[in-house]
Amino acid sequence: MYNLIRFLKRYYFIFLFLFLEGVSIYLISQNSYYQGSYITEIANEISGKINTYNSNIFTYFNLGSSNKALVKENSMLKSKIKNSYISYTKQEFIHQDTIYKQRFEYIEAKIIQKSINKRNNYFLLNKGKACGIEKNMSVICPQGIIGVVINVSENFSLVMSVLHQDSRINVKNTRTLITGTLLWDGINYSKGRIIDIPSSIPLKIGDTIATSGFSKDFPEGIMIGKITHFKMDKGSGFYDVDIKFSTDFNRIEHVYIVKNFFKTEQETLLKEIKDE
Amino acid sequence: MSKDITKSLFHFILIALFQVFVLNQIHLFGLINPLIYIWFIILLPINTKNWVVLISSFAIGLAIDVFEGQMGFHSLATVFMGFIRPVFISIFFNNKETDELTRPSISQMGIARFVPFIFIFIFIHHFLYFTLEIFTFSEFFLTLLRILLSSITTSILIVLLDLLFIRRRD
Repeated sequence: MYNLIRFLKRYYFIFLFLFLEGVSIYLISQNSYYQGSYITEIANEISGKINTYNSNIFTYFNLGSSNKALVKENSMLKSKIKNSYISYTKQEFIHQDTIYKQRFEYIEAKIIQKSINKRNNYFLLNKGKACGIEKNMSVICPQGIIGVVINVSENFSLVMSVLHQDSRINVKNTRTLITGTLLWDGINYSKGRIIDIPSSIPLKIGDTIATSGFSKDFPEGIMIGKITHFKMDKGSGFYDVDIKFSTDFNRIEHVYIVKNFFKTEQETLLKEIKDE
Repeated sequence: MSKDITKSLFHFILIALFQVFVLNQIHLFGLINPLIYIWFIILLPINTKNWVVLISSFAIGLAIDVFEGQMGFHSLATVFMGFIRPVFISIFFNNKETDELTRPSISQMGIARFVPFIFIFIFIHHFLYFTLEIFTFSEFFLTLLRILLSSITTSILIVLLDLLFIRRRD
């Protein structure tokens, strides 16, 4: 017994070191974004509260540009409502509400903490389970896409930004409708990369890239950016495309979380195929 | 003794706040992400007991982790730095000095000894943190560049802040 105590006393420093490193590794493993963790939830609650104060202060500095973006979006939406159109035909169509069923709902939220200067970037939003946010919902803003919700606590949610090494988003060229995959190579927060576009169909600089709608989380046609540069990889037969994001990740403050009402239906249908 | 503890607590709060609310918000050329909170571990008094250094390192790492929403990465790197700090102290200081000197700073060490000391210390820390955070070998050289540029920026920031805020020896 005495020897044991002496042994512990002698090597306590190494034991303490190993113990603390163990705790850190445990935290990292628990916090992997594939499974939610209780510790992260609590930590998010605490840091979220403090970060809310911080972002409340910084919001004032950006009011001008936020307002501009909102006004722009308003005017765009206004131009789309029925009153802004004149009927050119004499025929009248009856609009039946039963044909349309709402598929996507947009929940407004505010970013209270963000990073853009790391290889893997995240956002913290001020809405959580209490407002109906769930994991894997997509997040967009008036200018373009933001990312995907990966962790939710009662009042806050953590979003994996498009600026992340594990981010893969299915996109399409709105002119040719050819699809590809969006990645981020980790240097410039305003530039993205698209792979898997077959080189058989010509591209143009300035082509618009938008979400394809094949994913069950992103609605179709959300703007992503414009092609700035592309080159053909002769070996693989695919293009390597650089784009400029339409979202200014440094500026955004207000975002929308997209809720898909038909998600469970889509998932069960897909599951049936897998089960067979 | 209690004065030393209050002073360290004061350092802890100020440095953590500066890291979270200033450095985490700015964006430099996409590759640079200075992690100045490591200064807190450097600034602890030289004769601090080893286990106190370890616990304090864990505390500052955890504090930064909580604010970034990604638990464990910073604390793992800082605990390792707390572990090897005694080795650094024994390399960069002789026995006589460890009794006299209080906290490693430019006024105590002179800039010629202070800069290599913090740069090697910071480089090891950044190396650990960034390799952990990025966790892939596919971008090895890009990661290395990121580590090097960030270490240099952090070192410069610490030297500047040291010149500005740490009181000169009379």
